[in-house]
Amino acid sequence: MRSIASRVGWGVATLFGASVLAFLLMRVLPGDPARLAAGELASEEAVRARAADMGLDQPLPLQYLHFIRDFVTGDWGYAYSIGTPAREAILGRLPATVELAILAFVIGVSVGVSLALLAAYTRRRWVDVVIRGLSSLGMATPQFYMALILLLVLSQGLGLFPGPEGRLTPGLAEPPHRTGMFTVDALLAGQWTTASDAFAHLILPAVVLAMVPAAFLLRLLRSNLLETSREQYMLVLRAKGTPRARSYVRHAFPNAALPTITASGLLLAELLAGSILAEKVFGWPGVGSLVADSVLSKDFAIVQSFVFLSALIYVVVNTLIDVVYGLVDPRIRSASR
Amino acid sequence: MVASGALLAVVLLAALGPLFWTVSPNQVNLAETLQPMSSAHPMGTDDLGRDVFARFLEGARLSLMVGAVVVLAGATIGGALGVVAGMSRQPVSGFLGWVINTLLSFPTLMLAMAVSVALGAGVFAGAAGLVLAAIPWYARVLRSEVLRIMSRPSVEAAVVAGAGSIRIARRNVIPHLMPTLLIQAASNFGAAILTLAALGFVGLGAQPPQAEWGSMITGGLQYALSGQWWIGVFPGLGLIVLVTATTVLADRARDILDPRGSYVRS
Repeated sequence: MRSIASRVGWGVATLFGASVLAFLLMRVLPGDPARLAAGELASEEAVRARAADMGLDQPLPLQYLHFIRDFVTGDWGYAYSIGTPAREAILGRLPATVELAILAFVIGVSVGVSLALLAAYTRRRWVDVVIRGLSSLGMATPQFYMALILLLVLSQGLGLFPGPEGRLTPGLAEPPHRTGMFTVDALLAGQWTTASDAFAHLILPAVVLAMVPAAFLLRLLRSNLLETSREQYMLVLRAKGTPRARSYVRHAFPNAALPTITASGLLLAELLAGSILAEKVFGWPGVGSLVADSVLSKDFAIVQSFVFLSALIYVVVNTLIDVVYGLVDPRIRSASR
Repeated sequence: MVASGALLAVVLLAALGPLFWTVSPNQVNLAETLQPMSSAHPMGTDDLGRDVFARFLEGARLSLMVGAVVVLAGATIGGALGVVAGMSRQPVSGFLGWVINTLLSFPTLMLAMAVSVALGAGVFAGAAGLVLAAIPWYARVLRSEVLRIMSRPSVEAAVVAGAGSIRIARRNVIPHLMPTLLIQAASNFGAAILTLAALGFVGLGAQPPQAEWGSMITGGLQYALSGQWWIGVFPGLGLIVLVTATTVLADRARDILDPRGSYVRS
């Protein structure tokens, strides 16, 4: 119990640190937010009044406390570059990113895990070499480049997928809003053509996003599987007559999978926290591209809210994984007694 | 083996290329825009008539230099941070650990972007952002390594013999950190190059007319879909080759230097 409390405490402390950093980072950026908010042509007085209005004339620690209080009560500031409250802007774009992240996660995990199993199980050296090569390639290719190649080959060249038009073919109506995720909403409303259109637009960006997680999980699981397959009990299983495939899937895999589960959780958090590059290439209206534009236009309400939000997601997922790991692995459980 | 060869090839190309290929990477030639590959222009020309091959070489040099700088600065600062964090007592150790964790909870690209914007675009700002993003990784890895080393009998013996912290650090701790540091540096190198390209893609980092692989890919994106694919494709291939070579070498390094590590050769 004490270790769970200490892990949670550590998570909270990190969150505090992240909030301070997010707060300071935006204050450090050049450009006067009051001036940006009031507009280029506003008079000095108007800018000063705006600054007072935004609380910028108060001492920094006080501003920080206001930032925290406001964030917790739902006021994430006003996004001057867009003209809506920051919270609306971010949450409005969130379903698009979540939709993308979930599909990318599913693809990444399935591909990574199956290839890792294949690579560890096979007796043919060349299969393993090819898979390892794929993994290195996957981690070395820049996301936006992969997006470019896929668009060139699959969309332009073969015409299999739509181009970078966003989430739906222009002109097609959005499905009625239930979750904000077009594929889900369209399915719920029975709009089959809309659903398949949304899905077709979702595939390429999801594949691009899935590339790095797949490659990473592939390497991790493969090396863990190889380590596990050398354990004594694997030999015993074979001596008992267990088929080789079964010994891998039923015995080696569950034991080797724990670090993979940990890594998957972190990868999902990272996917949720922003897929800036893929979104920019495909014109996907998600949180990542919103934040990228906001950094460039110095809209600090959005950037600091997003940074805080993603740190929150990251810390929560991290802490949860730590706790679950401690509970699940009997070695750790008995060690802490 | 292939990897070291590839890496060497890129380095040689970047360093010696301009001696043989004397075309200027920034020479605008509006009469020859968007030309496909030819003997005069092995990688074609871009939308301003500049020779893509010359820009490719220039971009290679930039990536290699920035990668080297980021690794050196990150390893030095992050390493120092990690060593101090590992060797000091509470509350300093806890505080530093907290700082490292905080920096790590930031999405890397965001941190690099924010610092770049703060320092006003350009390669230097981009590199600074990359260094800041890299520091916590070195710090964390080295801190845990230092903690592992501190529990060794050799360190205990040094303390009993009356050695001060600095002497212990110099003689007993730091020499053993080299393998871990090198492995981290190798993977950081590849990541730094990719992130620099990402910054270029978003419009930060290297600014036009500077030839940088990431911004070349962005520039090439719009033309790729209308047929002039060479502008964006070649820089990307350069990135892939360079980073793959570095990653493979990093793995080999880990193989050799870290026998008890989790990487297992099949």
